[in-house]
Amino acid sequence: MTEFAIETEGLTKVFRNRWSGKELRAVDDISIRVRSGMTFGLLGPNGAGKTTFVKMLLSCAHPTAGVAKVFGQDSRIPGARQPIGYLPENHRFPTYLTGWGMLDFYGSLSGMDEATRKRRIPELLELVGLDERAHNLRLGKYSKGMLQRVGLAQALMHSPKLLVLDEPSDGVDPVGRKHIRDVLQNLKETGVTVFLNSHLLQEVELFCHDVAIIQKGRLALAGSVASLTGGSGFRVEAANVPELVEKDLRQRAKTCERTEDLLRLSFNTREEANLAVDLLRAAGSEIESFSRTRSTLEEVFMSTVK
Amino acid sequence: MTATYALIRDTFREAFARKVFWGFFGCCTALLLFFIFLMRVDVVAGATATVSLFGKTSPGQDVTKIVKGTQGFIAAFMYVAGIALAVFASAGLVSAMFEPGRIELLLSKPVSRTHLLLGRFAGNVLVVASNVWYLTIGTWLIFGIKTDVWGTGFLLSSLWTIFMFTVLLTVIVLVGVLFDSGAVAIMVTFAIMIITPILAQKDQIERLLSSEWSRDLLRVMYYVLPKFSDGAKLVHHLIVNEPVTDWMPLWSTAIFGAAMLGLAIWRFERRTF
Repeated sequence: MTEFAIETEGLTKVFRNRWSGKELRAVDDISIRVRSGMTFGLLGPNGAGKTTFVKMLLSCAHPTAGVAKVFGQDSRIPGARQPIGYLPENHRFPTYLTGWGMLDFYGSLSGMDEATRKRRIPELLELVGLDERAHNLRLGKYSKGMLQRVGLAQALMHSPKLLVLDEPSDGVDPVGRKHIRDVLQNLKETGVTVFLNSHLLQEVELFCHDVAIIQKGRLALAGSVASLTGGSGFRVEAANVPELVEKDLRQRAKTCERTEDLLRLSFNTREEANLAVDLLRAAGSEIESFSRTRSTLEEVFMSTVK
Repeated sequence: MTATYALIRDTFREAFARKVFWGFFGCCTALLLFFIFLMRVDVVAGATATVSLFGKTSPGQDVTKIVKGTQGFIAAFMYVAGIALAVFASAGLVSAMFEPGRIELLLSKPVSRTHLLLGRFAGNVLVVASNVWYLTIGTWLIFGIKTDVWGTGFLLSSLWTIFMFTVLLTVIVLVGVLFDSGAVAIMVTFAIMIITPILAQKDQIERLLSSEWSRDLLRVMYYVLPKFSDGAKLVHHLIVNEPVTDWMPLWSTAIFGAAMLGLAIWRFERRTF
């Protein structure tokens, strides 16, 4: 067993207009590796090439160059897709099927036998929070949130080792979103690799260990969430700071801002921050917090795609 | 095998949901009821020496002729109208598979593209075949019980009807793979159904053509395209138990179907969704 659930080497997709001959490089030479059991988030603005990348990973689109491997096998080989569970964005599940029927159909396509399907379907429908009434209700009568839930159940049907989720909580209410996050969290603990394509940066930041940001078809940034959001400076927050001390600190700090009674300072080095704390203590101010500066994933994302 | 069965069953479910199957089934049932009504079938006193068909009493020796003539009419009706209806119904079933949001999920499964396409194709053929057999066997039983004429030609004719539909379905599948459009698939298939009977008159048309290249073109078109009207003649031969002397319409049509299906598979395998 390879240590990588997903491995792409120079993955490229060029769309050519037959008539004008114009080329669009939707995905341009992307090489990424996702370790088994890891949670990975793929980010990028609209039209960055995320969906095309995912489609090549699942063999829905053929690469112009490069290769996409799943657990060491070229994903174009049907058997290589056996360990993948997929929830597409803008899915169009057959509306004539019931929740039960849909899981039964896609489970069959994944090679599950009837007895296993019968055992697994009620378990999964319960897991994603669909009550018995929904089991025999046609998908055409499902709400958007219910469709997302049944879609997730479908992706989990054959106990995949790799879960590829495209906007999994799209259209789901906050309670449902939390529920889905809990389900994914449990899967993460059982060693399932989760590949998440989402616009909800906060969700990705909370859930994913590693992220990659795609911009105009190219890999713009990749790394662990901790390393990308972790800053090198320090932040001090203090209350009851005398005016004279504040004036002094403003000259020493990298940034300084006041919100009512609270003074927020940031410094490049630990020494500078410690000196500021000493000054504040000596002036009788109260230290509210002392921490490393961190960026949010949103800030990292915005500065990358700017 | 599980995946094949699932694909076929899914096609049936979609045909049920789109009322395609029930539409066919309803038409066939209505036709069967119509025959029962017309022939006033008395199951208990079924086989009789003389029968009353469509209000006329015929001597026993004419029964076979009348029955086969009627069966021929039904077979021809099924062949032309049935296939036309089936083409209408199937175009939607094929193109639905390529809908964005649906095809991606199918392709992500550990099933080859060829398998997916052939599974859908087989399901579609079986949806139509089950109705054709329902009407054929029903009609055959009604006529048989009433008249005691049990020729197998009528039953065999249904095989040709299904065969011709299968060949036309390969065109629907190819056009569906190329253009994702049920409407275009219907247009192209109907064009073939209209053009080929004209081409079947090639001997007469050739005499009207002045240039050799146009005659060659006519011949090529005739031999390449499926033999829709020649098939009707073949069906007639089967029903009246006449020997079929020329099987060319069968094998050339089969080659056409195989080529269309091969092209559809080739294109589907290479297509990006």
